Amino acid sequence: MAANFWTSSHYKQLLDPEEVDVVQPLDKDKGMTLEDFKLIKMNMANYIWKLAQNVKVRQRVVATAVTYMRRVYTRKSMSEYDPRLVAPTCLYLAAKAEESTVQARLLVFYIKKLYSDEKYRYEIKDILEMEMKILEALNYYLVVFHPYRSLSQLLQDAGINDTSMIQLSWGLVNDTYKMDLILIHPPHLIALACIYIASVYREKDITAWFEELRVDMNVVKNISMEILDFYESHRLITDERINIAFSKLALKP
Amino acid sequence: MALTAPGQQLNLNESPSWGSRSVDCFEKLEQIGEGTYGQVYMAREIRTGEIVALKKIRMDNEREGFPITAIREIKILKKLHHENVIKLKEIVTSPGPEKDEQGRPDGNKYKGGIYMVFEYMDHDLTGLADRPGMRFSVPQIKCYMRQLLTGLHYCHVNQVLHRDIKGSNLLIDNEGNLKLADFGLARSFSNDHNANLTNRVITLWYRPPELLLGTTKYGPAVDMWSVGCIFAELLHGKPIFPGKDEPEQLNKIFELCGAPDEVNWPGVSKIPWYNNFKPTRPMKRRLREVFRHFDRHALELLERMLTLDPSQRISAKDALDAEYFWTDPLPCDPKSLPKYESSHEFQTKKKRQQQRQHDENAKRQKLQHPQQHGRIPPIQQSGQAHPQMRSGPNQPMHNSQPPVATGPSHHYGKPRGPAGGPGRYPPSGTSGGYNHPNRGGQGGGGYGSGPYPPQGRAPPYGSSGMTGAPRGGGSSGYGVGAPNYPQGAPYGSSGAGRGSNMMGGNRNQQYGWQQ
Repeated sequence: MAANFWTSSHYKQLLDPEEVDVVQPLDKDKGMTLEDFKLIKMNMANYIWKLAQNVKVRQRVVATAVTYMRRVYTRKSMSEYDPRLVAPTCLYLAAKAEESTVQARLLVFYIKKLYSDEKYRYEIKDILEMEMKILEALNYYLVVFHPYRSLSQLLQDAGINDTSMIQLSWGLVNDTYKMDLILIHPPHLIALACIYIASVYREKDITAWFEELRVDMNVVKNISMEILDFYESHRLITDERINIAFSKLALKP
Repeated sequence: MALTAPGQQLNLNESPSWGSRSVDCFEKLEQIGEGTYGQVYMAREIRTGEIVALKKIRMDNEREGFPITAIREIKILKKLHHENVIKLKEIVTSPGPEKDEQGRPDGNKYKGGIYMVFEYMDHDLTGLADRPGMRFSVPQIKCYMRQLLTGLHYCHVNQVLHRDIKGSNLLIDNEGNLKLADFGLARSFSNDHNANLTNRVITLWYRPPELLLGTTKYGPAVDMWSVGCIFAELLHGKPIFPGKDEPEQLNKIFELCGAPDEVNWPGVSKIPWYNNFKPTRPMKRRLREVFRHFDRHALELLERMLTLDPSQRISAKDALDAEYFWTDPLPCDPKSLPKYESSHEFQTKKKRQQQRQHDENAKRQKLQHPQQHGRIPPIQQSGQAHPQMRSGPNQPMHNSQPPVATGPSHHYGKPRGPAGGPGRYPPSGTSGGYNHPNRGGQGGGGYGSGPYPPQGRAPPYGSSGMTGAPRGGGSSGYGVGAPNYPQGAPYGSSGAGRGSNMMGGNRNQQYGWQQ
């Protein structure tokens, strides 16, 4: 991928939380709250992940697809851009952008297999049409940096080589895609936050290493807090609540 | 973040919402190319009057949506910002022809097509070089080469392989700036070269031996081979490896650069198709011999670019440090270069076609039109040495050169025969253009013009029916086609400027330079 995050469009496109946590007017009219909005995005991140497992693409493609989806909803309403179409289309586009192309008909096949619900049923032509709209919504910026690369480098640098630490921090990074962190923070700081949480959880003292890094530990701690808050609230999320959010979306304004 | 603000505001000012403007903001003026995925037009932005190039991405017949080649190109161009890399200004859409019952567009505004909007460039290198009577000066060649290497170095530092470096993809504006274009085959790479990449890239004549031998792990060195081919072409006056298929391409390379073996290229025998293409007879490297008339530093640099073993081939960065760019005559300032009337390969081809038509008419009227087609090698100092002046005085010098079958020395027979000959291309696309295996029968080309059909050179007049014209016949080897050097070696030792001790004939037996 691109060599330098700091010169990338990804860096230039980082947003403030207030810019990300915006419910588009059309969705607001239907009574959708910020909470509903976040729930649906999380649910769609899971959807992308499930689809990706079936069509067998790398984690990186999933991460890029989720990022696209989240970027789209900083600009577009869910009323106009149905999440159940946007999600698979983002995977379709991300697979192209990450050089592991997936055929549209294969996606359609697995969508049908995974969801019997009519609302998920979309055909190839719907995906192709939505692909164009997503490209526009993304303003054709397709390069995304992820915390994974920094994670491996940082773990190595910290001299961490026990598998449980590596696996835990890797899993934490995966989970950050259930939130909007990737739109807000530089990837290496997200990676650091995940290492930080993992080290606390596994009771590994790497404070000395953290202190030698020339990063603002306050930012890292804030990201860590956000992640922990998310885990806290995640326990309270039920299918029921997700269904309610989707049913609001289905309302005619 | 504060940094996002300017870009977004700019975009919002220009368009009502997020999303692309319509192609109707532009007025198409003229087609200037034919590309992998559609035509290229010169156009004027109506609001500002600015001239741009519109590259159409055709969307019909696309079963897999937005073409991945376009995705690659957009992704890469969005992240490259350099004065020697073409600038993608924006992407616009055109409302398709589809209408619903009420005659309104059916809402799918993408059927009509997507256009990439580029800054307009007046020429491409091939189009410019092929202008009748065109001669580049040495400082001019150095200037173009340095810009090419600077742009390519920037790509390589940003881990992008261009994978289709050739003259028609090097655009030149009237300020003398050269920019890399057509990133439709480009790819990001990682430094470890571990990923398997396709070897069906780069237009045949510029494709390096490792790809022809089937390697799938490669890096920036592939682009450097193409640069070497272009460099030699600029000095030599015509393409140096005009193969018509892969085996012939390799053979041409081996004839000049010698056959690869474990000594000059450790590991070569493990490359997939090495055994299929291993030459049956020993072949020595003859590069220095064939191009002995080149300037010493030019030849030295060329040697290092056209090195068979990619791991020993010079990098763009090291090439920029080569003596060649730091000895007199120095590369000139781009702005000092002459301005030319717009020329793209697509257009020069068309013009040549018209010229041919004109010639034929003239012939019928029993008129002779002496003309200068094809390329002429560089002049030593700009503004000096008109081609016609290069007979006579130089003759003895050149006679002293040992006649080499493949060298440019076999042009003696026609002291003043009109230079040129067939030009590079068959007169029409119907004469069997080379189908690039990777591009669905289309090559790149500046903003995307067609590939060189290699057959273009072989039968000098293709199918134009001009066989009887008095323009010199074809021969073989590096001198295919009509004499491109009207008289003598390209650096005809007319003595001016740097003095003959630096140039041409009287150095031609000195092979002892360090590499």
